[in-house]
Amino acid sequence: MSASDSPPTLLASLWELLTSIRFTIFLLLALALESIIGTLRYQGIYYTPWFLAPVMALTLNLLACLVKGLPRAMRRVLQPFTGEQALALPERGRFAWPAGADPRPMVAAALRQELGRPRQGQLDGREIYLYERGRLRPLGPYVVHLALLLILLGALIGKYWGVEGSLMLLRGETATDFQNIQTGKPQPLGFQVRLDNFQVQYYQDGRTPREFRSDLTLLRPGEKPETAVCRVNDPVTFGRFTLYQASYGRSILLQVKNGENTQVLEAPVGRTMQIPGRESRVKVLEVEENLQMPMQTEMRALGPAAKIAYLGGSGHAQVIWVLKNYPQMVERQPGPDRFTLLNLSPDYFSVFQVKRDPGVWWVYSGFILLLPGFFLAFCRLPQRWAVVLQQGKKGQWEGRLLGAGPRARESFAAHQERLLARLDPGANP
Amino acid sequence: MISSVLGVVTLAYLLAGLLFLVAAFSPSPRCRSLAGGFLWAGLAGQTLAILGRWTQSYLGALGPGPSPALLEKIRLVVHQAPLSNFYESLVFFSWCVPFLGLVAFRPYLQNYLGILVAWLACLLLAYASLGVDSAIRPLMPALKSNWLLVHVVTCFLGYAAFGLGFGAGALYLWQGRRFRSRLPDLPLLDRLIYQTTTVGFLFLTLGILTGAVWAETAWGRYWSWDPKETWSLITWFIYATLLHARLVKGWQGRRTAWLAVAGFLAVLFTYFGVSFLLPGLHSYLT
Repeated sequence: MSASDSPPTLLASLWELLTSIRFTIFLLLALALESIIGTLRYQGIYYTPWFLAPVMALTLNLLACLVKGLPRAMRRVLQPFTGEQALALPERGRFAWPAGADPRPMVAAALRQELGRPRQGQLDGREIYLYERGRLRPLGPYVVHLALLLILLGALIGKYWGVEGSLMLLRGETATDFQNIQTGKPQPLGFQVRLDNFQVQYYQDGRTPREFRSDLTLLRPGEKPETAVCRVNDPVTFGRFTLYQASYGRSILLQVKNGENTQVLEAPVGRTMQIPGRESRVKVLEVEENLQMPMQTEMRALGPAAKIAYLGGSGHAQVIWVLKNYPQMVERQPGPDRFTLLNLSPDYFSVFQVKRDPGVWWVYSGFILLLPGFFLAFCRLPQRWAVVLQQGKKGQWEGRLLGAGPRARESFAAHQERLLARLDPGANP
Repeated sequence: MISSVLGVVTLAYLLAGLLFLVAAFSPSPRCRSLAGGFLWAGLAGQTLAILGRWTQSYLGALGPGPSPALLEKIRLVVHQAPLSNFYESLVFFSWCVPFLGLVAFRPYLQNYLGILVAWLACLLLAYASLGVDSAIRPLMPALKSNWLLVHVVTCFLGYAAFGLGFGAGALYLWQGRRFRSRLPDLPLLDRLIYQTTTVGFLFLTLGILTGAVWAETAWGRYWSWDPKETWSLITWFIYATLLHARLVKGWQGRRTAWLAVAGFLAVLFTYFGVSFLLPGLHSYLT
């Protein structure tokens, strides 16, 4: 084989592969298998080439099938249902009317009642009534596949041009940037957001939250501030980002003493904070309403307590219990910053998911397109019906019922049974 | 009250199944119509029970305070649909089976297929009544959405259709081995597998789409690779394979029957397995 004629064969076999249904089935089952692995063993598989490669291949497969099949489907859809084609349909019944009886109005009515308004025409002296259903059916699978491509495209756009992150606000706190999840770095919002108020309502059991909401003030430089309420299932879009109420947590009030310098710090549970004006950092690990400690032979209740991790000058974290009822214990802390627990339950902080995804509308348009696609593909299966009437030599009418609906066998059979009954000359007065 | 109604309904389904079984061996058509009657009665009773629980849950959420505006009331009615925990979803699942059987697949509903529908519904309902906590729980904030109703309804209609397809597939495979005469004939089972798969696939797709739109408004992500999402996608892949194999390759018979069985096993894992074994966004179910 010479080098000059190998590229077309390679291309041709690649095209063969891309448009083959075996390839599709292989990819679908491979993706199913990998997803199983993803849920059972290896969570991150969806972002690896092992998963993305078959997704890309499936995308190409969809695209190739669309390119290959759509023109043919279009031609089939555009081809009109003619009298000649009707005559080639299989015969389903024969009728003969007595001389003098004109069956034409009855035939038209029977077809209209059973199927829908028929088209009427003449061919070589014969009267032909035509009815066609599901003509657009061949487009159905292509509409579905186009919709899936839109969804995949939207996902791709979201992956490369979307931004996702989180934002944590204390009551009264203002932020101008959020934590980007992908980069792990702060990113500007392009506006200011302030948490004016945060409320949690509980059900009667006192534990299950009924609702939590954040009252926000949003401000773009040089514009009038706007207020908005952000709730679960009720996000707020402002500027280029959307804020989703994700979760909330508690914070505590700590007094921090360093030599003669004393300040009060509001510390959210679970977030590392820089102590203002200092190098050192602190993170509240857990909070106890009433800490129980084993003391010699009995358990002793020590009152409100917070467990904090302190990262001072020494470079490694130290874990300290701070007890509200035992402020004298502060002297035992390593320092140089020493902590006193002032209050345990003053306030919540609110956590938001921050997002911008220009791909969502592509995904949604794919979702919407899926509906007519499924309707065409599964709900309107093609059926063709014709009644051919012919007058004999003595003027009496004879008729034939013709039809086919290979994909809609049951509905077709039911129509056939009822049509034969309706058209039966003996049954009508 | 409602639980005793459901108890009677469970019995009605059990009896309907028994009567279908008798009808399979008796030439008289009366047995079969009686079985159908029991199935209808059970469905009616279960519908009333579900509506009753809906009312209860709505009144509970309404509380004793001043009556809210009409729009708020409608919102509350939609949000309080009894579809928000494992028990309620099981009861609805078991409702979907005879509903689909009687409404969409009525011509097939005789002999072994009738038994299958009646006893699958009976089994699900018995499990719900005996093995699962049935208390009405207050809704957590993420579930307060108009999407809850349509998401759960479409998913479980899909599951139920796949359940019927599984039954038809299992009968098909069993048929290949043993007494042939009393079982539905193979071409009929083959068609039923295809039709239930089509219906199930439509509803499963709608369920995934509505779930995605809901997740986008609740969490800002239409897809998170949460185990429940992923398993529903796995299920979708399996049934997509079945449909392609059948429509394009012309696969029929045993091979599609095996796929229908495998697909329903994936459905069961999506529903039960994920809830109990793999924690994730849907774990409020347990």
